[in-house]
Amino acid sequence: MEEIRLENLSKDFDGFVAVENVSLSIQSGELFSFLGPSGCGKTTLLRMIAGFEIPSTGRILIGNTDITDLPPYKRQVNTIFQNYSLFPHMTVFDNVAFGLRIRKFPKNEINDRVKEMLTLVKMEDQANKYPDQISGGQKQRIAIARALINKPKVLLLDEPLAALDLKLRQHMLIELMNIHDAVGITFIYVTHDQSEAMSISDRVAVMNYGHIIQSGPPDDIYERPTSVFSAYFIGATNLITGEVIGIEDDYVQIRCPDGTGNSFEIDSTFHFQPAIGQELTISLRPEKIAISRNKPRYQEDINILRGVIEDILYLGSHTQYIVRVGDLRIRVFSQHKRVYFDDTALDWEEPVWLFWHDTDTWLIDEIPENVLTADELSEGGINHFQRSLKRPTAQ
Amino acid sequence: MKIIPENNPNYALQLATERKKNFTSWLLTAPALLWLIFFFLIPYLIVIIYSFLTADIYDVKFEFTLEAYRQCLTPAYLHTLFLSFRLALLTTLLCLLLGFPVAYYIARAKDKVKNTLLIFIIIPFWTNLIIRIFSWRIFLAYNGVLNNILLNLGLISQPLEIMRTDIAVILVMVYVYLPYMILPLYSVLEKLDWTLLNAAMDLGANEIISFFKITLPLARGGIFAGGLLVFIPALGSYLIPQLVGNQKSLYLGQVITYKVKNIPRNWPMASALSLILLLIVALFLIMFYVLYSHSKSRRRV
Repeated sequence: MEEIRLENLSKDFDGFVAVENVSLSIQSGELFSFLGPSGCGKTTLLRMIAGFEIPSTGRILIGNTDITDLPPYKRQVNTIFQNYSLFPHMTVFDNVAFGLRIRKFPKNEINDRVKEMLTLVKMEDQANKYPDQISGGQKQRIAIARALINKPKVLLLDEPLAALDLKLRQHMLIELMNIHDAVGITFIYVTHDQSEAMSISDRVAVMNYGHIIQSGPPDDIYERPTSVFSAYFIGATNLITGEVIGIEDDYVQIRCPDGTGNSFEIDSTFHFQPAIGQELTISLRPEKIAISRNKPRYQEDINILRGVIEDILYLGSHTQYIVRVGDLRIRVFSQHKRVYFDDTALDWEEPVWLFWHDTDTWLIDEIPENVLTADELSEGGINHFQRSLKRPTAQ
Repeated sequence: MKIIPENNPNYALQLATERKKNFTSWLLTAPALLWLIFFFLIPYLIVIIYSFLTADIYDVKFEFTLEAYRQCLTPAYLHTLFLSFRLALLTTLLCLLLGFPVAYYIARAKDKVKNTLLIFIIIPFWTNLIIRIFSWRIFLAYNGVLNNILLNLGLISQPLEIMRTDIAVILVMVYVYLPYMILPLYSVLEKLDWTLLNAAMDLGANEIISFFKITLPLARGGIFAGGLLVFIPALGSYLIPQLVGNQKSLYLGQVITYKVKNIPRNWPMASALSLILLLIVALFLIMFYVLYSHSKSRRRV
C-alpha cells in the first residue's frame, strides 16, 4: 500500500515560517485531518502536498515516489477547494469531465465515467446545469466528483464544508464519510472546526504555529491531550495550574491557588512521573464534573470543591454553569436528567458542590501562559478556564 | 403587495408621488436628451438628407439622386474601405496581443504595484493626442531619434524610411489605442478567481492548457469590450493616418475630410461615406453582440 510521508517539511514565506519541520506518515486509505486555528500552517501543508507551494526544506513521498518538486498537474493528487472553484463557464458535466479530457480519454469512456461519478454524488440529473444554477451543497458534490474521477491516490479537502450552513454541513459530513468508504482512497482533510475533524477522521493532527502539536485518533486527543494547546483547542476544558505537593503510588496531590490567596487540593491519577514542587496543568473536562447543591458523601477517590454559580447557560441538551471558586471560574456541563437527587433547578449566586473522580482529571506537563496567547487565555472568559492569578491585561 | 385604491386613503397621495417621481426622472434626463437630439439626431438627419442630394462645386443642389452612393461603391472607394478595415483589424489584434500580457501582469501584481502600473497606463492621456503623435514623428523621422540610435549602434547603414508608411500608421495606432484594450482586459482579469487556475492545474492541465481553457474564456467580456473600444475608433481614424501616414493609401476618415475640405467639394459623398462608416460600425456592434451572447449562451450537452 502507498502511504504518504512528509519528511522534515518546512515552508518559509519571506521570513514568516508557515510550517516548521513537520514529519508524518499517513496510511493508505486513511481519513486524516489537520486541525488548527487560522494561520497555523495547515493550509500551507495541504498546498505543498497538492503542489501549489514548493517546500523550503523536506520531502513529500507517495509510496516510494518523491513528489516534492513535481508541478500540480503531474501529481496523482486532487484537491477540493474551499470555495469549490468550479469552472463557471462550463456545465456540471464539463466540469467533471475536465480532468479526463485533459488526459485525452476516448469520448465514450469520458461519458461513462462522468455519469458514474455523477451517480456516486447523486447529481446525475443536474449534468447540464451551470455552477451558478446549483446550490452550495450541490457544488460541493460536483467538486468531489470532479476530483475523484481522476482516480487520485490522495484526495485533499481544504475546509470543504466551511461555506455551508450547519444542517447541510452535518449532512455532507456523513456523505463525505460514505464516499470515503466507497472509493477507499486516502483523504487528507483540513479544517479549523474541531467537531468536523473529530467526527470523520481516523486520525487528527492538531497544529499550531506551523508545528504538529499532537496527532492520533480523535478520542485519544480528546481524552489524553499531551499539551495545553490540544486540550484547549479540542472541545471545552478547564485548565487549572497547581503545584505537586504529594505523590502516592497511583495518584498525586496538587495544590491549586484560587487567586484570592487561598488554595485547594486536587487529587489526580497520572500518566507521567511528576516531581514534588513541579508546576503543572490539570485539564478537567466540563462534562466530567458533577454539580449539586447537596454535599456529596465523602469518598477517598473523589475530588470535592465548593463554589458559587456565576452564570447559567441553557443549551438544550445540557446546561453550562460557570462556577466561581475563589477567583477561578470553572465550567460545568450538566445534562438534564429527569431522575436526579437535585430536582429543583440551580440558581444564580447559589452555593454549589462540584465533584469528580480522580481519574477524570488529566495532567499536562505545561503551563498555559507559556503556550497560549493572551487572546486565547481570555477568549470569552468561558471557553476554557481563566486563570485569575495572572489575568491577561487588556491591550 | 398590491394596494387596492379604495381601501387606501393614501392612494391620491401615492399617485401624486408617483407622478412627481416620473416628472423628476424626466427632468433629470432632459439635458442629455436635448443634447442628443440637437447635436446628434438632427445633424445625422441632415447628413442622411445630404447624402441623397446632388454635388455642386461649393455646396449642394437640392435634387434627389443616388449618385453619391454609386460613387462610393466604385473600386477606388471600396479600396479605401478595405484599407480602413484592415488597419482597424490589425490595430485591434495587435492591441490584444500586446495588451493581454500587460493586463494579466497588472491584475496579478500586488495591490500597491497594481495602482502604480495602472497610473503608468493612464499617464499618456495627460498629454494631448496631437503632441504625442508629433513626438512619434520626431522619433520616426528620416533624421529622427530612432534612425540616429540605430545608425550609431551600427545596426543599419542608412536611415530607415518609416515615417509616412503604413507601418508608421499601425505603430502609432497601436500606441494610442493600447490603453483602451488594456483597461477593460484588466478589469475582467482582476475579477478572475485565480484558484480556478489552481483547480485546472490540480486536474492535470499545465499552464498553457489552463490559460486557453480557463483564463481566456473567462476574459471574453474584456476582450470584446476592448476590441470594440479599439476597433470602432480605429475604423474612422483620421488624425494618425494624416499625420504619420502617406497620401497614397488614404483611409476613410481622410477621404471624408477631403470631400468636405477640397474644392470642388462633394458634400453628398462625404455624407454617404460617413453613413457607410456608421453602417459598418453598427453591423460590427451587432456581430460582436451576437458572437458574445452566443459564446455566453448555455450549451446543452
